[in-house]
Amino acid sequence: MKTVRIVALRQDRKRLLEHLQDSALIQIKKAEKSHNGFEHVDMSRPMQVFERNVTLTEQALKVLDSVSPEKGSLLASLKGRREIDPDEIGVIAEKSGEVISVCKRLTELDKKRADNAAERIRIATQLTQLEAWQRLDIPLNTSETKSTAVFVGTFPEQYNEKALQEAMAAESPKLEYALEIEHAEEGMTCAVIFVPVSQKNMAEDTLRTLGFARPMGATSKIPKDKAERLRNKSEHLRLEIEMTEEEIASLVGRREEIKITQDYFRIRADKYNVINQLDHSKYVFVIEGYVPEDDCKKLHALCERVAVCTVDFADAGEDAPVKLKNNKFAEPAQGILTMYSPPGKNDIDPTPLLAFFFYFFFGMMFSDAGYGILMVVVLGIVIKVFKPDQRMRNNLKLFQYCGISTTIWGLIFGSIFGDAPATLYNYFTGTTDKTMTMLLPWPTIDPQKDALTLMIISISFGLIHILVGMGCKFYICFRQKDYAAAFFDTGLWMLLLIGLAIMAAGIFLAPVCITVGAVIAIGCAVGLVLTQGRGSKNIFGKFFGGIASLYDITSYISDLLSYSRLLALGLTTGVMAQVFNMLSTMMGKSVVGFIFMIVIFIVGHLINIALNALGSYVHTMRLQYVEMFSKFYEGGGQEFEPFSLQSKYIKIQEDKQ
Amino acid sequence: MNGMFFALVGASIATALAGIGSAKGVGGAAQAAMGVLSEDSSKFGKMLVLTLLPGTQGLYGFIVGFLILVSCGVLGGDMPTLAQGLCYLGASLAIGLGGLFSGIAQGKAAVAGIAMSAKDDKNFSKGMVSVTLVEIYALLAFIVSLLVVIQIPSMTI
Repeated sequence: MKTVRIVALRQDRKRLLEHLQDSALIQIKKAEKSHNGFEHVDMSRPMQVFERNVTLTEQALKVLDSVSPEKGSLLASLKGRREIDPDEIGVIAEKSGEVISVCKRLTELDKKRADNAAERIRIATQLTQLEAWQRLDIPLNTSETKSTAVFVGTFPEQYNEKALQEAMAAESPKLEYALEIEHAEEGMTCAVIFVPVSQKNMAEDTLRTLGFARPMGATSKIPKDKAERLRNKSEHLRLEIEMTEEEIASLVGRREEIKITQDYFRIRADKYNVINQLDHSKYVFVIEGYVPEDDCKKLHALCERVAVCTVDFADAGEDAPVKLKNNKFAEPAQGILTMYSPPGKNDIDPTPLLAFFFYFFFGMMFSDAGYGILMVVVLGIVIKVFKPDQRMRNNLKLFQYCGISTTIWGLIFGSIFGDAPATLYNYFTGTTDKTMTMLLPWPTIDPQKDALTLMIISISFGLIHILVGMGCKFYICFRQKDYAAAFFDTGLWMLLLIGLAIMAAGIFLAPVCITVGAVIAIGCAVGLVLTQGRGSKNIFGKFFGGIASLYDITSYISDLLSYSRLLALGLTTGVMAQVFNMLSTMMGKSVVGFIFMIVIFIVGHLINIALNALGSYVHTMRLQYVEMFSKFYEGGGQEFEPFSLQSKYIKIQEDKQ
Repeated sequence: MNGMFFALVGASIATALAGIGSAKGVGGAAQAAMGVLSEDSSKFGKMLVLTLLPGTQGLYGFIVGFLILVSCGVLGGDMPTLAQGLCYLGASLAIGLGGLFSGIAQGKAAVAGIAMSAKDDKNFSKGMVSVTLVEIYALLAFIVSLLVVIQIPSMTI
C-alpha cells in the first residue's frame, strides 16, 4: 500500500474525479484540517439535492412495486449489475430531469391513492353508523316541528317497544309521547321519540337519565339518501383509485430508467461528498489517499491522461488499509477472512491456508459425491447465467471449490446421494444385501462402521490444522525478531503437541514411539516450566508462572476434541441421506411406488442438502475462527475501500484502452 | 426375554428429548427472527441461518434413534439381548439429555445473536460463531452415543 498525493487544476476536477471513481483505484483520505492557503469547498447543497433525488426514486420504485411487483426476486438478487457503456452516462444525465418528474408524479399518485383509500375507510365507517337508521324517513338532526319535539338518538341498552315504554314510564309517568324503534341490538337501541313541545324539557331530563344520546355527525339529510350519496362517493373514489393505479401501472415500463437514474444521482452524490473533503486553493485542488502498490503505475498514467496534475507516491504507514491479493484458488476465501476481520499491521495474510482448510473441512463434513457434483454444476450454471458481481461470484466460487472437495470426500466415504446406488440396485433387482462397499470398486471408509478410525483421523487433521496455525505464529514472531516468543511460547508447545501425537501413534504402531514421544513431550514440558515464567521478577514468580503455563494443555485438548465435529457432521449427512433413500423405496415396486420414490428422493435430498450444507459451512467457519485464528491471527485492520461507483443497478464498463 | 423394549425406549429417548431441545431452541430463535423480519425483511437469509443453528441437536438425536432401530431388528438386523437392550437405553441418554439442554441453551444464544445482527449486519459472523460454541457439547454427547450404539451389535452380552 502506498500513499498518493495528486495536485491538479480545478478546471479538471470533474473529469479527474469521474475517472478515479470509475477506475476504483484510490481510497481518498479526508483532509481533516486545511493546509495553509487551502480551504474546503462546501458542496453540501447540491449533495442534498442529489440525495433527495435518490430517496425520491427509491420511493417511486416502491410505488411501482406495490402495483406490479418485480418477478423472480430470489434469483434476481444473484444477478450482477448491468453493464453500461461510459458514453451512456451523458444520455442518462440528460434524461434524468424527465425521469425525476416521472418519479414525482408517481409519489403524487401514491399519495392520492392513499388519501382516497383513507377517505373510503372513513365513508365505510359512516355507512355502518347509518345502517341502523335505514328505516327512518326524516333527517337525523330533526329537533322539533311547530307542535312536536322530536328526539332521534340511541339508548345504550337493548329495548323493544314495550320495554322502552316501561323504562320511560318508570322515570316520569306523566310524560306524553309516541315512539318508534328503528333498530335494536345488544347494548344499543336506535329510536325516535315524539313529545309535545310543552313537555320538551321534561322529556329531555327523562331521556338523559336513560342514557339517550343524539347521533354523532347528524345531518339534515334523510339517512337513506345520505347513505346513497356516500355510496356513490365511495364508488367514485374507488374508480379514482383504479385510475391512479392504472396510471402507475402505465409507468411500470420506466422502472429500469428510474433505477439507472437513481444510480446516477447516487454516484454524483458520492462524488460531491468527496469534493467536500478535498483541499482547494484558488487554482488547484489536492487529493490524498491510499493506492495499492500494483496500481500505482495505472493511477499515474490515468491522472496524466485526463488532467494537468502532479502525482507523488510515498510509503504508507502502519495504519494504512489493506487490500488482500490472492490467486484464483484462495481468492474466494477472502470474504470469509474479512468477515472475521481484515489483517492488522502485524498479521500475515492467512487466506491461502484458510482457503485450503476451508475447502478441506467443508468437504469432509458434507462428504457426498452426489451433492458435491450438484453444487459444482448448479453454481457453475448460476455464475454463467446471472453473471453476478465480484463479491457474490467469489462466494459462489467458494462453494464450488467446496463442492469439489465434497465430491472427493464423498468418494472416499463411499457416499453418492447417501447409499442411493445400492438402494436403487436393490430396489430394481430385488436383492437386499448389496451395500455401497460392494458396489464401489475402490476401498472406502464407512463412517458408520469405522467411526472410531475416522474420529482419530479427524483429530489428526485437527492437530495439523492447529500446528499450521501455531506455525504462522512462529513465523510472525520470528519476522518481528521476537525470538523468545517464537521458540519458547510457540515452538515448545508445537514440539510438545507433536511429542504427544507420536506417543498416541505409538499405541497403535510401535512401543518405541511411545518412549520417543514421551521424551520429546517431557523435554518440552520442562522447557516450558523453565521459560514461561520469564516475565516475572522473582524466582517464585518464574517457577509458578512456568508451572501454571502447563495448564494451557487443557485448552489444546479441548481444541483438538472440537475437531470430532468433522466425524459427526460427516456422519449426519450420510445417515440422513440413507434414511431418505430407505423411505423412498418403502412403497415397493409399482407405478405408485415409483412416483413416490422419485418425489421422496428429491424432497428428502433437498432437505438434507439445505440442512447439512448450512451445518458444514457454519462449523467449518468456526474451526477456522476459533481453533486456528486464535493461535496467531490478530486482525483489526482496515479494509481498502476505494472511491468507486457505489451503485446498485448499473456498473460502467471498463475502458478498453 | 429380549431387549427390544429397552432398545425402543432408548431410540425414543434419543429422538424425543434431543428433538424437544431443538424445538425449543429453534422456536425461540424463530420468534426473535420474525420480530427482526417485521422491521427489515431483507435480513431473511441471515436470520434463517441463526434460527436453524439450534436445530442440529434434533438431527443428532434422530440419527442415534435411527441407528438403534436399524441395528435392533425393527428395520433389519438381529433382535438384541436383554443386556444389549439396556446398553442401547444407556447410550441414548447421552444425546437425549445432552441434546435437550444444549438445544435450549443454544436457542437462547441464537436469540441474542439475532438481536445483535439486527443492530448491525457486520456482527453476523461473530454471532454465528458464538452460537456454534454451544454446539460442541451436543456433538460430544452425540459422539458418545454413536460410538456405543454402533458397537453394541457386536458385543456378546
